[in-house]
Order: sequence, then structure tokens, then C-alpha cells
Amino acid sequence: MRRLLALLLGLSVAGLPVVVSADIANFDLAGRLYTKWLYRNNDSQGVLTYGNPFWPDDIAGDNGVGTEFELKIFGRASRYVEGYARIQSRFGEMWQDWWESGERKYGGDVNTSGDSLGLNRASYIKLRGTWVRAVIPFASWWSNTVTIGSSDLGMFNPWTIGKVRYIDRDNGKGIFIGGIFGDGIVSYDLAMVALPKLYVGPWWSTGIGDPSLTRPFYSQDWAYGAKITVAPDWGTFTAISTLTNDVEIDMTDPDAVGSLYITCQDDLGNPIQGCEKDHAVDYFSRYMNSVTTLEMQLDPLDWFSANALYGVAVGRLDKQITANGVAQNQGVSPVAYKDTTDLAIRHRIELADPLDIGLSFQFEYFYIGEDWNSIFASRRESDVLLTDGLVEGGQLPTLNLANEFIDFDEDFVESCIGWHGNTAKALFAWEALDLDVEGTYIQYNTNAQNRDVDETYPDFLHSEGYTDTDLYDYANTTDRGRDPRSVYRRNQDRETVVAVVNIRYVFDVLEGLELAGKGKFIWDRDYRSHTSVEDDYTGQIWKARLKMGLGIIDGLKVEVGGQFDWWDEENRKGTLEQGYGDDRTWKAKAFWGLTYNYEGLKFRYYMEYLHKDQARERDVDQLWSVFRSKASLEVNW
Amino acid sequence: MYARLACWTLLAALVSASLPTVADPLVSLKDPTRDDDGPGVFKYPTDPVYKPGTFDITAFEVHRKGANLVFKVTVRSRITDPWDSRSWDGNGFSLQFAQIYVDQDHKDGSGFCEGLPGLNVKFKKESCWEKVVLISPQGRSRLKSEVRQKAAALEKGVVIPKVTRVKGKTLEAVVKARDLGGVPKKGWGWLVVMQSNEGYPDRNDLLTRKVNEYAGKHRFGGGSDWNCDPQVLDMVVAPGKGLDGEKEAQHKALAFTCNEADPDGSPLVELPMVYP
Repeated sequence: MRRLLALLLGLSVAGLPVVVSADIANFDLAGRLYTKWLYRNNDSQGVLTYGNPFWPDDIAGDNGVGTEFELKIFGRASRYVEGYARIQSRFGEMWQDWWESGERKYGGDVNTSGDSLGLNRASYIKLRGTWVRAVIPFASWWSNTVTIGSSDLGMFNPWTIGKVRYIDRDNGKGIFIGGIFGDGIVSYDLAMVALPKLYVGPWWSTGIGDPSLTRPFYSQDWAYGAKITVAPDWGTFTAISTLTNDVEIDMTDPDAVGSLYITCQDDLGNPIQGCEKDHAVDYFSRYMNSVTTLEMQLDPLDWFSANALYGVAVGRLDKQITANGVAQNQGVSPVAYKDTTDLAIRHRIELADPLDIGLSFQFEYFYIGEDWNSIFASRRESDVLLTDGLVEGGQLPTLNLANEFIDFDEDFVESCIGWHGNTAKALFAWEALDLDVEGTYIQYNTNAQNRDVDETYPDFLHSEGYTDTDLYDYANTTDRGRDPRSVYRRNQDRETVVAVVNIRYVFDVLEGLELAGKGKFIWDRDYRSHTSVEDDYTGQIWKARLKMGLGIIDGLKVEVGGQFDWWDEENRKGTLEQGYGDDRTWKAKAFWGLTYNYEGLKFRYYMEYLHKDQARERDVDQLWSVFRSKASLEVNW
Repeated sequence: MYARLACWTLLAALVSASLPTVADPLVSLKDPTRDDDGPGVFKYPTDPVYKPGTFDITAFEVHRKGANLVFKVTVRSRITDPWDSRSWDGNGFSLQFAQIYVDQDHKDGSGFCEGLPGLNVKFKKESCWEKVVLISPQGRSRLKSEVRQKAAALEKGVVIPKVTRVKGKTLEAVVKARDLGGVPKKGWGWLVVMQSNEGYPDRNDLLTRKVNEYAGKHRFGGGSDWNCDPQVLDMVVAPGKGLDGEKEAQHKALAFTCNEADPDGSPLVELPMVYP
């Protein structure tokens, strides 16, 4: 009986639900939901202000709401090996798209079937990035980390192989080895990165779309990078050398598919000397770009630091297998159509409140040669110079900038190739006051007469007038001024002065009342052709912005402000033959917004009214009256 | 000639008179270099943004500026902003998150005896704190929201600076003196701890980047995957003069043990204050 009771008890206990937890110790999951609303008083539909400038762009537009989801999975296989994967839905489907399947069953015609707009409107889940990482401790004083798979390429610098932009952070894949000696005093990185078939190279590709190639070959295109850093307590010394190499098939090789000499005979039927089938295909480099920098950061004192960066960029282009993007693409090309070699130098000194009175200084000298180009440099979300520059998003030493896939409230970047000058900044921080003043003088190594912009140097078609990043359009159908990549001009003799003042004060009102102002003046003169004074350009650009932010309750902050621009440009655009005109532009912008953080939810709203009045001497005046807004809701867990 | 000289002299005098005067700090502590390894075993994450010295406290000072107090925490390497904090309403840096605990009465059990969520520390009963100043890259709005959500019981003691900024290697926070309960007095205790800012923290952590058993791309290593290890990379310990012995004292203070049967129930380390 006792045994029976014990058996029954045992069975009943076994039948009870037991608390079981999945083995998640090796997993780390992170999810994110992001929704964006975009509206403007126009008739375009989409949830991205500036999409792909390359045709066909099927997601850009100013009116819409869309959501994306991402899931990051980190896992640990052992104490030394971990893995990662990120899956994310494609952004571009609007809520109104409802049951869009992503097919194009009826060709390109819009229809009501729900099978019409393609995958960009279908929120499909895509594997966006993966990596496996192994830590290999050779000795207690020497460890290596080997990463195979995705990387944001942040181990180098914006001059060489740049950190890729946030939306592309897992797209770059390769093999990466990072090592540390001792207490981190010496470290190194080695990388072999798969070149993106689009954007790194002439014609923004590693062959695809190049009219001179019948069979673009991109599966053996790589970039290589090496970095060594020595970092004693008083400074850091970093040497980086990179090489991007785009190879193509030797079409004279009889083993290549579509070879010009498949029978090893010329047009007359004579055997070609040295031509022999060996079941192996040879390659040539279509384009190579090598960039090397040496950077020294000296921090001998807490309040004093000095930085020096020296770089050399070399570009080699095989004209036999690279079509001329300058001549054949209206001057829109990320490379000059020739072999190039040039230098870059940057010296920077910072005195961080040396007298302990809140006053700091920064000085910078910069020189970027006219033939410098780094094809795999940072394309945005980085800045190599101290100055506020001509546009506000930063300066980068490449023609390969990315001012696309952004919204109207995001900054533009500009190319600083050819810039030569100095910046001085004084920064005063006292209690709740921050005040800084900048003065920059720029000459241009790209100044030249009769520069060949027909065959050699890309001028990006539009080199004239101050750039309007508020109302930008790639095709320049609305006279938006200079392309931020346009550093070459047929005739240029230019110099620029930039003066900026920023002020910010926080008052003790509610959760803090922040008042911020910015004033900016740009004096830009270009004598252009030395044969005439009729084309001499002088631009005086004035900008003033005032913004007030107020924290109302925990997590809620509102802001309101306005900006006024006055651009006075003599001989803004035209030709010597047709003449030039003096244009005047004034813009007024009023904006307000709020941010709200609530229990892990982040909401942001921004709305602006923009009025632009452009009086043009030789063209019809232009008027803009734009209301537009953007909101986002983000939840992470 | 003399008139011009007199004018210049007068101008110089006016300018120098209008400049703020340099005053001795109310509190000044030093910390040894290369002790940003918590209990002696913590390792930095493997991503290159975590440069050596990023979390290595070398000095801490408190200055009085009118009705405000300025807190300065200096680290070994130049402070950078790799994640562009201005784009998320931040303060010009991305990685560091310094917390300054203040014991204003040095009485047993008086004040809060636990650290902010995610730090995984307690305080010795004679060193419980009344105020903690947060020097975070996160904007005030996010910080307030996080504190309200995750540290409501401690909120009364949390001081969020009205301004947080970077100067070279120094994090600087401007705090209203009245928010701290007045100008620091002799006998107050101080504990400066450094952890790393995490914009996407665990549900219960106050913006803490985790220290795990093994270092990951954005995770520190050398600790535990459970919550039994202090998430402190560096701290200032007595006597606060930057002596070599302080490194050992820090390692000892942060040494943790995890109970295998109930890791999250393990006793947390108890941190000491510095009473300069």
C-alpha cells in the first residue's frame, strides 16, 4: 500500500507542470519597431524625402507612413566564439499599401491587384547581416579577434576605408582580424572587405553599368586594409594603409566566355602568338585606389592636444576597360578619368580651457590636394574638418558622397577635395552658457584655368550658386545651386571665408529652457575665367537661426524656432557667351517639434514652414511655400 | 602715445576684470591610470570605438560657479562621439556614463544604500548616499524618463545636470547647488564610478552597457552573464590621490562572487566612499 501511494505520488508529481525556462543564457535578442510619418503639401507619395538618385526610385516621396521591424540575435557558442544575425523588414511599404505582395504580375503598370509595386513596397524580411567572431588569446599579453562576416568598417578612418553609414552598417562583409598587445598600447587591424558591386568605383560600380564592359565581373573585387596603433598614455600613433581593387576579366584570354580570341586566331586566321587555352582565365585591374594615412594624436596635458594627419591617395584606372564617366555621363562621376596621386595634410591643436576660465581654443590647418580621392572613404555621418563648412553636415575627402536615402531634416555632406586653409575657433563655456565663434579661410587647390571638365575632371554638371539643401533635387530642375560633390570647374579662382557663431544658454524654467542661436556668414568669391571680369562671382550668404527648447514634464520636450537666410549672389550662373545674372534669395523657416520618451517608447515630431523667394536676373523668379512634417515612433526591447 | 597706452591698459584691465576668476576646486580627487578593469579582470568590448583609456578615470573635481556647481570627470583618452549624440539630443559624447554618489551625513543607514539599477552594487551602511549626479551622453528628457521608469524609488536623490558637455578629456556637468542640497561641505563622502552608456539597455537597467562573462562586440567581458557582478569599470577609492595602492583597493572593492545555485540572488559588492 505504501509503495502504491509512493508510486501514485510520484506519478502525480511527474504530471505536474514544471517551470521550464528555455536555455537563453547563450542568446541575446534585441527587437525594434520603427514607424515614420512624412507629410508635405505636395503630391508625391512615399516615406523618404530623398531616395535613390539612380532610376528607378520607387520609394521616395513626401507623403506616407511606413513601419519597419528588426530583430538582432546574438549567440555564444563557447567562451571564445559568438555569432550574430540581423533580420529586418524592407522599409518602403506604406500603411495604405495593405496587401501588397511584392510581385509585379502586370508589368510596370499600376493596378488594383495588390501584385503591382515590387518588393520595395512589400516589407519582406531580409537577412541584413551576419558575423561570427572568435577570440584567440595567443598569450596573456596578446589576443586576436577574428570576425568573419558583417562589419561597419569602423576600424579605419574617414579618409581611407570609412565607417559605412548607419543604414548600411551590416552590408559590408569580409574577414577582419584585430589584435591587441599588452595593455592596449599596441593594437592592429587587418581586413579584407568584399567591395560593394555598386558605388565603389568608376560609374559608381565595380563594373556593372560600365558601357565598356560586356561581362562585368565583380565576385573577386576586394578592398584590403591594415592598421597599426601605438597608444602610450600621452598620445596615439596610427598608420593605416588600404587598397581597393576592382578586377575584370581579360577578354583576350581564349578561356574567357565571350573571348575576343576564342580560337587564338586573328581576323585573318593567323595564330596569335602567346595565345593558348589553359582553362584558366586572367584578370586585369579596372580601377585601384590606395589610400594611406599616418595620424599622430599627442595628449601631453589634460588641456593640450595636437593632432597631425598625413595622407597619400593614389588612383589607377585602366581606360581600356573603363568607359569615360566624365564624357559619357555629363560630368557626373565619382573619379577623375585619369591616374591620380595626391596628398592630404591636417594639423590640429586644441587648448581645452587652459586657464580654467571656461575658454578653449581650436586651430586647424588643412590641405587636400586637387587629385586626392578616396573612393571607399566615409560617405556621410562623419566629418574630417573642424569648420562648419558651406553646408552643415560635414566635409569628407571623396567625390563618392551619399546625400541620398535621407529625409528633409537631415544634413547634407560636402566634398573637401582641394580645400586648403585654416580654421580658428574659440569656445567659451561658463555655467549654463556655451558660446563658440569660428573663422575659416579656404583657398582651393582646384583653382585652375581651362581645366578639362569634358574628358577628365567631373564637374557634376552644376557648379554654380550656393547650394540649397532645404530644397534639393538631384536633377537640378529647380535651380538648387552647386552639387556638394562639384569641386572642379573649367575656370576657377576661388576663395571663401566662413564665420560662425553659436550660442546656447539653459535657463532654470520647468525641466530646463534651452535657448540656442546660430549666425553664419559665408563670403565666397570666384574670379572664374581670367579672360573676363563679366563672370566674376561673389556670394554673400547670411544665415540666422534661433531655437528654443523647453522640457515640460519628465520625458517631454518641445521646441520652436525660426531661421532666416539672405543670399546675395553676383553673377550666380550663366556662361561667358550668354552672360551672367545677379540673383537674390531669401528664405524664412519657422519650425516646431516635440520629443517624448515614455517607458521605452520614443516619439518625435517635427514640422516646418519654409518660404523661399528667389529673384533671378536672367530667369523667372521662383517662389516656394512649403509645409512639411516628419514624425517617428520607436520602441526597442 | 601715452593716451593710446592708457587706453590699452584700461581695456586690458576691463577684459581681465570681466573674465571669470580661477578658484580652487571644492573637491579634488585623483585616480590611477590603467585601472579601468573593474575588479581587475574586466575587458573592453571588441568594437574599435572602445579605445583604450575611454573609461579610465584620472581625476574628479567639483567647482563652485555662482549658484551652480561644476562637476568634472577626466579620463585617460580624448572623449569622442562615435555615435553622433547630437542627432539623438545627446550631449556631445557617446560612450561614457559617470555616476557621482554623494554621502552628505556619513551616518549608518542614512540615505539610499543601493546603487542605481544596472550598476549591481550596494553601499556600506555608513556610506549610503543622499544624492547621485548623472553625467550621461543622453539628453535630459531621456534621462528623466529612464529614472522615472526604472529607479522611481531613488528618484528623489537623482540629480540630472542642467548642462553636460565635453572639454577634451573631461566630462563637465553643471548642477544647480540647490539640487544637490547646497554647496559641498567638509565631511561629505564621494564615490565616482564609470560605466558605459547603452542606448538600448536591458528592461531593468538604467542605461547600462553590460559586463558579461566574455567580451563581445558591444559587451564588456570578465564578469558574469548574471546580475551578480558590479557593472563598474573604474571608480575613485580612498585616499583619492592616484596612488598605485588605490588600484589594488579598487580591485578588492569590486571583487564579486556569484552563487551558482542562485546567481541573481548573490550578494552584491558594497562600495566605499571617499571622505577627503
